[in-house]
Amino acid sequence: MKSITLSIMRKEFFHILRDPQSLLLVVMMPLVMLLLFGYAINLELKSIDAAVIDESHSPASREFVERLTASDFFRLSAQNLALDGIETAFQSRQVKCVFVIPQDYARRLVSSTGAGIELFVDASDPNVAAFISGYASQIASADHGTQKAASSPSLFLVDPRILYNPDMKSADFFVPGLIAVILIMISTLLTSIAIVREKETGTIEQLLVSPVKPYQIILGKVMPYTAIGFLDGLLILVIGALLFSVPIQGSFALVLLMMLIYTVTGISLGILVSTLAKTQAVAMLIAVILTVLPTTLLSGFIFPITSIPVALQWVTNIVPATHFLQIIRGIILKGNGIMELLPQTGILLGMDLLLILLSVRSFRARLD
Amino acid sequence: MKKLLVVVKKEFRQIRRTKEYFGVVFVAPFVMLLVLGSAITTEVKHLPFGVVDLDHSPQSRELVQDFETSTAFRAAGSWKSIAEAVQQLDESRVRMVLVVPEHFRRDLAEGKSPSLQLLIDGVDGNSAGVAMSYATQILRTAQARWAKPLGRAAVSMLHPEGRASPHIVPHMWFNPNLESSWNFVPGLLGIMLIIVTTLLTALNLVRERELGTLDQIMVTPLGKITLLLGKIIPFAILGMLQLSVGVLACGLFFGIWMKGSFLLLLTLALVFCFSTLALGIFVSTLAKTQQQAMFFAWFIMIFALLMAGLLVPIENMPAAIQLITYLNPLRYFVTVLREIFLKGTGLPHLWVEALAMTGIGLAAMGAAILRFQKRLE
Repeated sequence: MKSITLSIMRKEFFHILRDPQSLLLVVMMPLVMLLLFGYAINLELKSIDAAVIDESHSPASREFVERLTASDFFRLSAQNLALDGIETAFQSRQVKCVFVIPQDYARRLVSSTGAGIELFVDASDPNVAAFISGYASQIASADHGTQKAASSPSLFLVDPRILYNPDMKSADFFVPGLIAVILIMISTLLTSIAIVREKETGTIEQLLVSPVKPYQIILGKVMPYTAIGFLDGLLILVIGALLFSVPIQGSFALVLLMMLIYTVTGISLGILVSTLAKTQAVAMLIAVILTVLPTTLLSGFIFPITSIPVALQWVTNIVPATHFLQIIRGIILKGNGIMELLPQTGILLGMDLLLILLSVRSFRARLD
Repeated sequence: MKKLLVVVKKEFRQIRRTKEYFGVVFVAPFVMLLVLGSAITTEVKHLPFGVVDLDHSPQSRELVQDFETSTAFRAAGSWKSIAEAVQQLDESRVRMVLVVPEHFRRDLAEGKSPSLQLLIDGVDGNSAGVAMSYATQILRTAQARWAKPLGRAAVSMLHPEGRASPHIVPHMWFNPNLESSWNFVPGLLGIMLIIVTTLLTALNLVRERELGTLDQIMVTPLGKITLLLGKIIPFAILGMLQLSVGVLACGLFFGIWMKGSFLLLLTLALVFCFSTLALGIFVSTLAKTQQQAMFFAWFIMIFALLMAGLLVPIENMPAAIQLITYLNPLRYFVTVLREIFLKGTGLPHLWVEALAMTGIGLAAMGAAILRFQKRLE
């Protein structure tokens, strides 16, 4: 009985090896995504093109401009801009923001009202705009004005402590997250395609009339892809941890165990997809729609769940990745043990069970 | 010309017969637009926030109140000790904790500058940064409010030296409320377009090859260019239709009405489609089976999406990756969409993008035509 499953597995491995291009893509895609996410996504902006309209022409205003240039956040790139030229400057994307220092800047700086500097920001990318205005305020408040006001101690101080990821590195956030995306994507996709391919070519009927039991077929077909998906996840974990120096705080064995549970989710989802689709193309579309989009967008992989509308927040609960992300980030970044992750693990196991039951049932129903 | 029309007609008939296309072109994208438009947000809202109040004074309660009334934070509980709060942070039940130290009120009154502690879950570095700046903003306001009756200047908290400093008055143009959706939703139209053009063209051509009908067409007196044009034109028209419906949907669902000229958008979209369709044909020459074509097309799409400057500002990327983005047609089209939609920019400031997309299109088309020939021989 075991040998039957084994020989189906061996057959499946031959299928995989005979299509080296697809195999290469399956291995390369996660790596490319890892590099892109690791390097490309860090929200530390630098060298933002800025312009200054200095109507004050005072030592104080020049001091402020110097401070701007000294920071590597802003790069003064447009000279002699006029107030009515701002819109054109934004439309031609010459600059992203314009500081306007008013005429009475020097006088008001020492007065009790304080001086304001107008900052016009091209907010068509709101993310960048928020950073620009935040950074500008920081530079302004750090401005060691030559004219000191009556110096008085601060009323109270704030001491922010960033836990778990003190440098707020994006790699720490994305490397574990990427495992969640890749694992389910690869395992669902490959499983569904492998089964539907047999359907398309009609060979599944032949398998079914042979003395092989359906569960042996499924098991044999699914195991190789479990291995590939799991190895893909491991690859990301190891390369990501080494390349981007993501520390693994918790237990490595626990990470592997959780990855296994999560791979089972993906595979049972794949079997379910295979019962819905008649052709490989359709299977692929369904698998992508079911895994990639919810996993990248409705799981907290990039965008914080708490910020999205409440109705969609409900949806995030049925996305397996939501729970797996909490687990894997918990273990890797916070050093969580199994006790702290019981609810999430329970939900994931429940999903596994439900999906397996569903897929076995619909697989049977289709055979009858 | 007549031959071309015949091919176009045949393709249209085939498209109409494939019912799935209707779903892929018109239904799925709009579901995507709706869901993604609301899901993609880099704003920080309702972040679970906790308090460890060791002072129990009116002042500390006032601070907590300030946090609870802001939309950025949602009260998730209060604990008696820092250790308990850290436990909550460990279990991800709460993302930020404000610790008000003992004798906060007394120290405040005596001018001793007591120190408030903010414990922030930094796992999501980006959100943590945003949350921290919101929190400092709230505390700064509180500081200013309390400083007034005491006759002191509200000085910067993070710089206790206390020097005169100007304040920044920001004016956000084109998107005054900094809505994420205003940025993402128009960009999504570009992604929808690349799906229809690159993916469907590649699949269409590979299927004809798989079925062997491509060889049959090749032995007819149809020229190669005519054949490829005949394949491209229907999908370009389909794409334009989709874009028009998309522009309407942006306005109806999200209230984002285009500021600039629709005609200009359509023209530039055609140029963009030329480049992505060429990519689709190129992919079809690389792939042997539909499955491979899908893999390739999908890979290109993910790549294009990440490198478009939509999710991550291009300025943030390392120099080497920034260079790669110049090869990405979606990069230019996302700029075009954003400019026309939000700023109403005209052609004088967009011709560089138009040229770049044309260049990429010509290069991809050249490569595709060369490979197309080779594969058939």
